[in-house]
Amino acid sequence: MSIQLSAEHLSFYYTDENGNRTSGDVLKDISLEIEKGSFVAVLGHNGSGKSTLARVFNGILVPTSGKVFANGLYTSDDENIYEIRRHVGMVFQNPDNQIVATIVEDDIAFGPENLGLPSEEIRDRVDEALNAVDMYDYRFHAPSQLSGGQKQRVAIAGIIAMRPDCIILDEPTAMLDPKGRSEVMKTIHMLREIYGITVLLITHYMDEAVEADRVIVIDDGKVIIDNSPENVFTKPELLQAVGLDVPQSTELLWRLKNLGVPVSVNAINEETCVDTLMKLLVK
Amino acid sequence: MVILRTEELTYQYSIGTPFEKTAVDHVNLEIEEGTFVGVIGSTGSGKSTLMQHFNGLLKPTSGHIYIKDKDIWSDKNNLRDLRFQVGLVFQYPEYQLFEETVYRDIAFGPLNMGLTENEVRERVYEAAAFVKLTEEQLEKSPFSLSGGQKRRAAIAGVMAMCPSVLILDEPTAGLDPMGREEILAEIKNYHKKTGCTVMLVSHSMEDVSRYADKLLVMNKGKMFCYDDTKEVFKRAEELQKMGLAVPEVTRICIELKNRGIPLDDSIYTVDEAVKQILEFYKSKNGGEVLC
Amino acid sequence: MLKDITIGQYFPGNSFLHRLDPRFKIVMTLMYIVMLFMGNEIYSLIFGMVYCATAFFLSKLPIKLFGKNIKPLLPILLMTAILDIIFIREGTVYFQLGIFKLTEDGVFTAVRMIVRIIFLIIGSSLLTYTTSPIQLTDAIERLLSPLKKLHFPVHSFAMMMTIALRFIPTLMDETDKIIAAQKARGAGFDSPKLKDKAKALVPVLIPLFVSSFRRAEELATAMECRCYRGDVGRTKMKIMKAGMNDIISFIFTLIMLCAAITVVVLF
Repeated sequence: MSIQLSAEHLSFYYTDENGNRTSGDVLKDISLEIEKGSFVAVLGHNGSGKSTLARVFNGILVPTSGKVFANGLYTSDDENIYEIRRHVGMVFQNPDNQIVATIVEDDIAFGPENLGLPSEEIRDRVDEALNAVDMYDYRFHAPSQLSGGQKQRVAIAGIIAMRPDCIILDEPTAMLDPKGRSEVMKTIHMLREIYGITVLLITHYMDEAVEADRVIVIDDGKVIIDNSPENVFTKPELLQAVGLDVPQSTELLWRLKNLGVPVSVNAINEETCVDTLMKLLVK
Repeated sequence: MVILRTEELTYQYSIGTPFEKTAVDHVNLEIEEGTFVGVIGSTGSGKSTLMQHFNGLLKPTSGHIYIKDKDIWSDKNNLRDLRFQVGLVFQYPEYQLFEETVYRDIAFGPLNMGLTENEVRERVYEAAAFVKLTEEQLEKSPFSLSGGQKRRAAIAGVMAMCPSVLILDEPTAGLDPMGREEILAEIKNYHKKTGCTVMLVSHSMEDVSRYADKLLVMNKGKMFCYDDTKEVFKRAEELQKMGLAVPEVTRICIELKNRGIPLDDSIYTVDEAVKQILEFYKSKNGGEVLC
Repeated sequence: MLKDITIGQYFPGNSFLHRLDPRFKIVMTLMYIVMLFMGNEIYSLIFGMVYCATAFFLSKLPIKLFGKNIKPLLPILLMTAILDIIFIREGTVYFQLGIFKLTEDGVFTAVRMIVRIIFLIIGSSLLTYTTSPIQLTDAIERLLSPLKKLHFPVHSFAMMMTIALRFIPTLMDETDKIIAAQKARGAGFDSPKLKDKAKALVPVLIPLFVSSFRRAEELATAMECRCYRGDVGRTKMKIMKAGMNDIISFIFTLIMLCAAITVVVLF
């Protein structure tokens, strides 16, 4: 499989306008490869550097040492930035602060318009993106009339309409209510099915990360875990040590096991947890 | 003693337009002093609107609100005093910080109450201690703090008014698990130490169920129920139908029960689930645990 | 509250007026204003009034909307009329009491002013009611595009307007929230003293500025991530094309304007 995003010995600290260092190392010697078409979740508590990592992959920030490539393009080269952004879309935390236009469909058209596409093609892409995020009926609404989850879906549609190969979502559900969260997660899964797009999801919600192909845990600027969700969430001590939750299903089984109950700790979601417990309790 | 009581409280907005909506619909509620109340409901259930009535920010369309047996709208001049009795922390309260130092921001409420310098200082330090802000942080600009610290400084600003009822609207929104845990523990500690009534509005039943004595469930502007946490969770399936996300462990236990495992019908913490499953397991295996 | 303001609002629809090219609508509105403010006799107003009535009929909007717009302006209108009546002392005297004189010219000027202002508001509201803000800014951008040759930043100007329009409701909401939050901490909005009220603004304005800057920064990043580079290589989804209706309306407006000019010059 080909590589979508890669980092080689990436380190990063913030600087002021004069290039003077204003922070400690936010990212420390990270080497990573994200494969095309994969769904990767990046977990970490606030201040762990996970959002910085997202911004580095999109070229908003450039590494202070090491190299980052997006679609094979070197992000530190200014000439590549436009090309990188065509291929790597980004959705941010606050749904309000990324919608530009006063009408939903005009906002979705913003990206394709910047790409200089002919107007009929923009129209087609906008309609398709509206349908993909299930917001077609709201195309004439003003953003202020929408719920948080709907706004975030509009933001996602705005990226989809640019037809990127990869979408980076920086805590897209942190400001949403449970309904909005599940709407957005459903949308993300659907995009994978329809477009086979690479998804890099930055989050601190375990239940969202459970659904990924691969989970990367960042703490203090370093990658401390990089594995499949099954292998990550069945190690609660490790996650709790860096201030992260484990899904309640895992915690339940884990604690039973620690009390001496012969139960396997491999469940990371409700169904497998119930099945595991039924096997234990009904013999 | 009943600290807060409502009588047929109703609030409608945009009356006479096509957008007319009843946000709060004939709510009758009685809250005993010192209770830790969890308030849950999905977005648009009217829970935030209801809370804004308790300190007089919104005026009911009909019905009454009594704080310590006094109708709060009987004398408009007392409204400001009422706001000091019922403290309200809004969602994302860090967006209300404005002073040069954290100390002065926390002191804003107490100063508005007309307290003396010394009283104000005492209250600021006390409130800062509750939310674990250091003396050094108090002298900093609130805008230089981290997200979680800003949130706590803003909460301290309301705690410093020493209200009899402290209402917090989604105090953990947008925080990571550790930040959530810290703030909830600090609120619980505040409740224990001061003995005042606390109302915690949240989407997260997991958060609320661990700390609250009683739960107030709002649904479509109506009060669905107000009861002990344990009793409310007996109706977990109804809550789910309302679009509320009950804790994962509750859903697991309901499913186990449906498949014939005799568990209690209101389990909402992992502790309780572990205890009950272990008991059942032991009883099946004649008290033996280790294999 | 702040949300009740209807001036500048857009009411989606599909009437004749809604469908007209916004560029033409802006130009025709300007022609209408000229029509309205030309000449000093009462009859010179008739053209503007007839024109406005026709446009209103074509918009299919309820008349109530306009009433709501004019109501808050009534005190200003009344003041203008009173001042006109008091200070204009020429013409036939209808009535005199001490130094106060009610004259023909005074009454005329007052009536003319009121009619003009009311029709000015109705006419320009018709433009904003039937044209979405984004169409308006797009049209302004295109109408002003010759100025690009003079290095006037036409595109940036239009983008600024779009963003301002986009964020007005957001910031109004936010202002309401901050006011409520500070009220809950005992800020003196309810105090009858002006000094207290002014002081109470500080805790509202500072957080509002801080949050606006934060929003601006985040929005700028988000726009760059969506490949925004100013108007470099930018196209539009909605292309404005003038149709038969636009041309007919324009010719009609032109005839009305010429007629108004002829009448004013000849009589």
